[in-house]
Amino acid sequence: MSDETIRDLIDRALDAYAVLEERGEEIEDEWSYVADLSDAWRTRLDAIAAHHGTAEAPDEAAAAVDLAIDEIGRIEDPHRAIDWLSTFPQVVLLAIGERP
Amino acid sequence: MRFQDAARDARAVVYAGIQADPLVGRAASLLVDATHAERLLARAVMNGQTTEPDRWRAMFPMLFGSAATAEAGDPVRSEAILEASLAVADRGEQVRSQVRGALVEELTAQLLARRVIATDVHRERRILFDGVRAEIHPYDVTIERNGAAEAFDCKWGARGINADVLHQLDDARSNAAAEDETLAVALVVFDARRSCDVRLARQTAPHEATGVVTLETLDGLAEPGP
Repeated sequence: MSDETIRDLIDRALDAYAVLEERGEEIEDEWSYVADLSDAWRTRLDAIAAHHGTAEAPDEAAAAVDLAIDEIGRIEDPHRAIDWLSTFPQVVLLAIGERP
Repeated sequence: MRFQDAARDARAVVYAGIQADPLVGRAASLLVDATHAERLLARAVMNGQTTEPDRWRAMFPMLFGSAATAEAGDPVRSEAILEASLAVADRGEQVRSQVRGALVEELTAQLLARRVIATDVHRERRILFDGVRAEIHPYDVTIERNGAAEAFDCKWGARGINADVLHQLDDARSNAAAEDETLAVALVVFDARRSCDVRLARQTAPHEATGVVTLETLDGLAEPGP
């Protein structure tokens, strides 16, 4: 086990998610959809943090979340960013043992 | 109500080539029995940046890690899905997008063929009604049988849900009803239900009678309805 908790991983994921959201907002026609989509997934991740945030995070989960963060950090295309605004939270949730 | 092959215009010819790509069939055949985690792996990799398989294996510890479980996925199948998904990702951006769309259609058709007679499942079909101008765009997948026809439009992601497709599906359903025919209509979206709900909440086009099949419920396509 790492010294980190599930909340630590989710906090890190949400920081990266905010940057991804900004990238997606570059598509002006989809601005409000991007905002609503991000809110929906942020709410889900926040709920997991509230209920299970103090649990220790397995090393594999921490590595998975960090790789997912690295993956979205490489995205430059705002259209791809919008697709990952849905995909990234699902990957994070599965990595920490939760259903999306 | 009657069904008809779509016109063989230039777009249809190009897209038929994509649909016939062996990679599409191979990936769909793997995903038809896949778990939710394996299908999410495919979605991530096919739209991902990195093409290094070890990074994806580490990103999905429930499939490839020391704590992997049979419930999460089959190790051999997960590896095959990763390989096929990387092959899709390796295509150019435009082709990759077309392959993903064709994949969702093929997966839908394969799942439906487990529920109904395979010859009742068709692709790229128009639905014609008396006195109604025919839609230009064909339906991705149809089930054509007396008294229990169905039409599906397939999308890679929730963002693909838009007013045009919702109107087309609902118009077909209501036109069928006007002819005392039954036509069930649904969207199949290779994305999470949560994301689809967000997208649908923004739509004013009628969709109350349109089914929505998502990553979580794909297997339902193969199962008899309630």
